Amino acid sequence: MNNIWGDMAQYDPVVWNWIIAVYLFMAGLSAGSVLIGIGMRWYSKDKQIESAILKASAIIGPVAITLGLACLVFDLTKPFHFWLILINYNFDSVMAIGVAALLAYSPLGIAYSMIVLRDELPKWKLGFLVPISHMLMPFRTMIEILLFVLAVGVGAYTGFLISAMNAYPMLNTAILPALFLASGLSAGAAGNLIVALTCFNSTSHDDDVSKLHGLDLPVIITEMMFLVMLFTSLYFTGGAAAQALASLTQDIWASVFWYGVVGIGFCIPILSMFLPSKARHTKAMMLTVACCSLTGVLALRHFIIYAGQTYIS
Amino acid sequence: MNKRYVMVHDENKCIGCQACNVACRSENDVPEGVTRIQVRVEGPFGEAPDLHFKYHRVSCQQCEDAPCVTVCPTGAAYIDENGLVSIHNDKCIGCMYCVAACPYKVRFINPITKAADKCNFCKDTRLARGEQPACVTVCPTDALYFGDANDSNSDVAKLLNTKITYQDKTHLGTKPRVYRVPTKRGGIQS
Repeated sequence: MNNIWGDMAQYDPVVWNWIIAVYLFMAGLSAGSVLIGIGMRWYSKDKQIESAILKASAIIGPVAITLGLACLVFDLTKPFHFWLILINYNFDSVMAIGVAALLAYSPLGIAYSMIVLRDELPKWKLGFLVPISHMLMPFRTMIEILLFVLAVGVGAYTGFLISAMNAYPMLNTAILPALFLASGLSAGAAGNLIVALTCFNSTSHDDDVSKLHGLDLPVIITEMMFLVMLFTSLYFTGGAAAQALASLTQDIWASVFWYGVVGIGFCIPILSMFLPSKARHTKAMMLTVACCSLTGVLALRHFIIYAGQTYIS
Repeated sequence: MNKRYVMVHDENKCIGCQACNVACRSENDVPEGVTRIQVRVEGPFGEAPDLHFKYHRVSCQQCEDAPCVTVCPTGAAYIDENGLVSIHNDKCIGCMYCVAACPYKVRFINPITKAADKCNFCKDTRLARGEQPACVTVCPTDALYFGDANDSNSDVAKLLNTKITYQDKTHLGTKPRVYRVPTKRGGIQS
């Protein structure tokens, strides 16, 4: 429809697009992968051996966050001025706090990877890094603890980032950081499993791999619970918040939620648990289920970003 | 004492002619395709032949507690000494956090500077020369009032003391400094 007051394109409430959704996914994947890798090391009996899961997380952690940050930088309208955000900080802003956290998290993640992958580096023609690995070895425990704490921060930060906007009732909820942290763990577990099985020749019967597999159900149930809490709080808040519930029944994002998040992300992994033990523990089945989990988490980030911004207070 | 610049839009006097929109574009070199101020014409309301329209000014609300300033990671968005929400173009990297966070959706990316942009009550141009903002001066029905609410003798202070006004989305705690005199013709919304 023509109007007399001008172009309406700038007033579209959906400001952040799929690139941001991919960044949120990558940050969650990186943080979740690191949390699971380090967490499982702390609970393992033999700490001298670098497990395949830990090696997988040493790859996913830095790679995913680097790709995510690349998405973020090239989504800026002034990508070549991104360095300004590294020297100017407004600590009222969740984004500035996130930048500070990522500034510590990314190099620490790379340092920790060099420690964990020290025996692998020569095989990838990165042998020249081995002396650095040995130099870092004495600080391993410190780096590990710091990285773990920062990973919790990074995982939750992506939720805080978008829940800080009270213009959007569906995003402006307390549960979002927790939901993103939980779904990040789910993505991290799936990612670690895929890399461990394909790159580090672990078998589907390894102790670590089955332990990791056992994490699936509790994490999925937690995520489902958080989603129910999110929608319930919207319903009882009423007004604009309750109207945002239409995102569950209308438009493309309803399909993304029900088919992507619930169908692929939750139902397939849960249903796979009812398969006979033999079929369930094949490599192919485990990889399929892990890919479904990853797809579900990616779909969740898209649903939250798009549906969340569609409804405005 | 610092100034407390406010604007009042009298929705009874407004006729939705968009002269403010055009004057703003010309004064502030606003590029094509984006706007700092629009007056949306809503309606018609009522039963024929007694129809009427409502006029809604859409522009920066100059919030006292501005969400755009809180979320800006680099401090490019700031509130100046007179309470005007402003932008350091050279500090803005275009992350669009402010555009997303603004509950009034009045921020946009200027396609030429690539920085966030919006109404600033003409503070660099007309206000600096001691004149009223372009939209206020050009308004043919004098529906816009602008001034320092800290000065009890100013037109805006007198107006705010005598007329019923409202602000948009006060439930979000933004404390907007654009006040509106509601249209007298009411009506039941279905």
